[in-house]
Amino acid sequence: MTPRRLTVGRALSYLALAGYVVLLGFPLVWLLSTSFKTPRELASLSPSLLPESFSLTNFRSAIEQQDLLRAGANSLIVAGCTTALVILVSVPASYALARFRSRLRGVAMGWILVSQVFPIILIVVPLFLILKQFGLIDSLVGLVLVDLVWSLPFALWMLQGYVAKIPAELEEAAATDGASRLRTLTSIVFPLLLPGIAATSMFAFVLSWNEFFFALVLIQDPTLNTLPLALARFVGQEGQVQLGPLAAGSLLSMIPSLVFFALMQRRLTSGLLAGAVKG
Amino acid sequence: MHRRTALTAMLAASAATLTGCATNGGGSSSDNTDANGTVHLKFQSLAFADTTVAQTKKAVKAWNAKHPKVQVELIQGSWDNVHDQLVTQLAGGTAPDIIHDENADIIGFGQQGYFADLKPYLSSSLRDNVSDGVWSSLTVDGKVIAVPTLQQTYVVFANTTALGKAGVSVPTGKSLSWDDFRAMAKKLTGKGSHGVGWGLKQPAATVLNLSANFGGKWFRNTGDSASITVGTAELQVPQRIHAMAYDDKSIDLTSLTQSGGDVLPGFYAGKYAMMVAGSYVAQQIQEQAPKGFGWAVLPPLAGTTSAQPASSQTLSVSKATKHVKEAAQFIDYFVADANLAKLAQSDWLIPATASARKAVRAQTGGKDGWDQILVSGEHSVDAPYLHAKDYPQWKDQIATPALQRYLANDISTSKLTDQLTKGWKQVAGGGH
Repeated sequence: MTPRRLTVGRALSYLALAGYVVLLGFPLVWLLSTSFKTPRELASLSPSLLPESFSLTNFRSAIEQQDLLRAGANSLIVAGCTTALVILVSVPASYALARFRSRLRGVAMGWILVSQVFPIILIVVPLFLILKQFGLIDSLVGLVLVDLVWSLPFALWMLQGYVAKIPAELEEAAATDGASRLRTLTSIVFPLLLPGIAATSMFAFVLSWNEFFFALVLIQDPTLNTLPLALARFVGQEGQVQLGPLAAGSLLSMIPSLVFFALMQRRLTSGLLAGAVKG
Repeated sequence: MHRRTALTAMLAASAATLTGCATNGGGSSSDNTDANGTVHLKFQSLAFADTTVAQTKKAVKAWNAKHPKVQVELIQGSWDNVHDQLVTQLAGGTAPDIIHDENADIIGFGQQGYFADLKPYLSSSLRDNVSDGVWSSLTVDGKVIAVPTLQQTYVVFANTTALGKAGVSVPTGKSLSWDDFRAMAKKLTGKGSHGVGWGLKQPAATVLNLSANFGGKWFRNTGDSASITVGTAELQVPQRIHAMAYDDKSIDLTSLTQSGGDVLPGFYAGKYAMMVAGSYVAQQIQEQAPKGFGWAVLPPLAGTTSAQPASSQTLSVSKATKHVKEAAQFIDYFVADANLAKLAQSDWLIPATASARKAVRAQTGGKDGWDQILVSGEHSVDAPYLHAKDYPQWKDQIATPALQRYLANDISTSKLTDQLTKGWKQVAGGGH
C-alpha cells in the first residue's frame, strides 16, 4: 500500500469515526441543552441547540420534586447488589458450563436460551405472588432477587463464552504444577476472565439500573423508589411531560452509570492473554 | 491478594446491604390496624403538576391531623404506567387501599370485581353534587366503583391576536356550533397559516367523546353483550374534521399526525389561529406561551347539544382492604370543595361536583378561560363505550389505526365504517 493511499484511508476512517461519535453524542448534547432550558424555550417552534441562559431550575425541580437523590441511592444499592450477586453466581457456573462436557450441560444451555424467550408480562404476576409469599414485596431485597434472576441467564451465556476462549492448556499446566481445581480457578482462570467479568458486570449493572417494570409493580413505599420510577413521574396524563425536569433528572441519573463504565472499561482491556502460554 | 480482598469486600458489602434493606414487604390491602387501634391506609395519588402534588400532600396532612385514628400514607404513582401496575397489584392483593385513576381505565377492573362498592358510603350531599351521567359512567353491575374528582373536556383555544387581525370576533355565549367553528376556521386560513391545528395522533378518544355532540353513542349494552353502531351520528365528527382538512384546507395536515402537546409551539408561533385539545392544555399555555400572547377558550363545541362523555379522574377503594368505610370517609373529605377547587385550578381541569365548580368560578372570576372551561363540564353524559368490555382493545387495535388512515385521506367513510364495525366483531369475538 502506498503512503498516499494509506493517508486517504486513514482520513476516511477518522471521518467515519467522527460521524459515528456525532451520531452517538448528539442525543446527549440535546439532553444537556434541554435540561438548562426554560419552559418557554422548550415550547419554541424553532428550538436552538444552546439554551438562552444556563438556568439550574430544572435540576432543582427534579431533585426536590421526586427526591431524586434518595431514588439514586436506592438504584445504586439495587444495581450494585445485583451486579455483585450475578458475578458471584455466574463465574463458577459459567466455568462449569464451559469446561464440563455432559448431557446436563446441553440441557442447561438450552434452558438458558429458552428462558430469554419469555416476555416479562407473562411472568410478572406469578413472580409477584411468589415474592408476596416470602414477604418480599415493597422491599429492595425482592427487587435485587428479581433483577438477579432476570440478568443471570444472559450473564451465564456471555461469561461461558469468555471461559471457553481461555486455553485449556493453561489449566493443564497448572495441574501439572500441582494446583488444585479451585486454585486453578482463582489463580489462573479468574485473572484471565477479568475482561469478561467487567463486560458482564456492565451488562448486569445497566440492566438493573434501568429496570422499570418490576420496580413499578413491586415497590410502593416512596422511600424505596428507584430512579426509573422517579423519572416516570415527570410524564403525566395524555402524554403531558415536564420536559425540563425530566431531561435534568435523566442527565443526573446517567452519572453513576458513566462512572461505573469508566471504572470497568480499564478492566476490559487488561488481563489479556498475551504471553500467558509458556513457550 | 488485592483482588481476593476486593472480591470478598464486595460480597460482604452486598450481603450486609441485602440484610440491611430487608423490610417486611407486603403492600397493602390487608388489615392495617396497629396495636393502638389506628387504621393505616395507603393512598396512591397520580397528581402530576407541582401545585397539584403540593395540594394533595397538604390535604392528606390535614386529614391525618384531624383523624389520629385513621392515618393515610400518600404514595406517588404515575399516569404513564398505572394500568400495568394495577393489573399486577390487584391480582396479587397488594394494591393501595385508595386508588387514583381515570374512568376509562377502571371499568375493566370494576367488572372483574376488584373495587369495593362505595354506594353505601356516599353522603347524600356528594351524591346530589355530581351529575347522573357521571355516576352512571362509574357504575358497574349496580355498584358505584369510584368517586369522580376532576373531569376533562375538549375545548377550542384561540389566538385572540390572530382572530383580531383577521377581523374575526371571539365568540361568546353558551356554545359554538360546529358549523360556525368550521366557518371561522375557513376565514382564518391563508397566507401560510391555518385556521386550526388539531393534534390527532391518537384520534379515537377525541372522536368518540366529541361524537356525543351529535348524540353519537357508538356502543349499546354492556360487558360481553356490547354491540357497536357506526351510524350518521357517530360519523359526524370524523367527517367534519376530514372536510375541514381536505375540502376547506383549514386544518393543518401536519398537526393531524401530532399529539396535543406537539401542536402548541405552532399555536404560539401563529401557524394556526385555533387548536382543539383537552382543557388541561390551558396550564401549559399559561406557563409556556410567549410574553404578550393573547389567548382565549371558546365556548364548548355543539352539534345538537354540547354534551361530552364524562372523562373523569377517579378515586376507588380496593375490595381487599378491610377498611372500606374509613377509605370512603377520606375520599368524601378529599372531594370537598375547599380541596377540589384548588386541585382543579392546579391542573386546569373541571371539578366533578357542582359546588366545587361554583367555588372555582368564584375564585378565578372566570378569567383565563375558566368560564368556558367550566361551562364545558356542565353537560357530562355517560360514555357507553366505557362499559363495553373489549373497548380498550378495539380502541387501540382497530379504531386508532382506522381513524388515522381516514384522517390521512387514505380510506373512504364507508371503508372506515366497515373497518370499525368488522374490527369490533373481530375483537369481541363476533356475534355483536
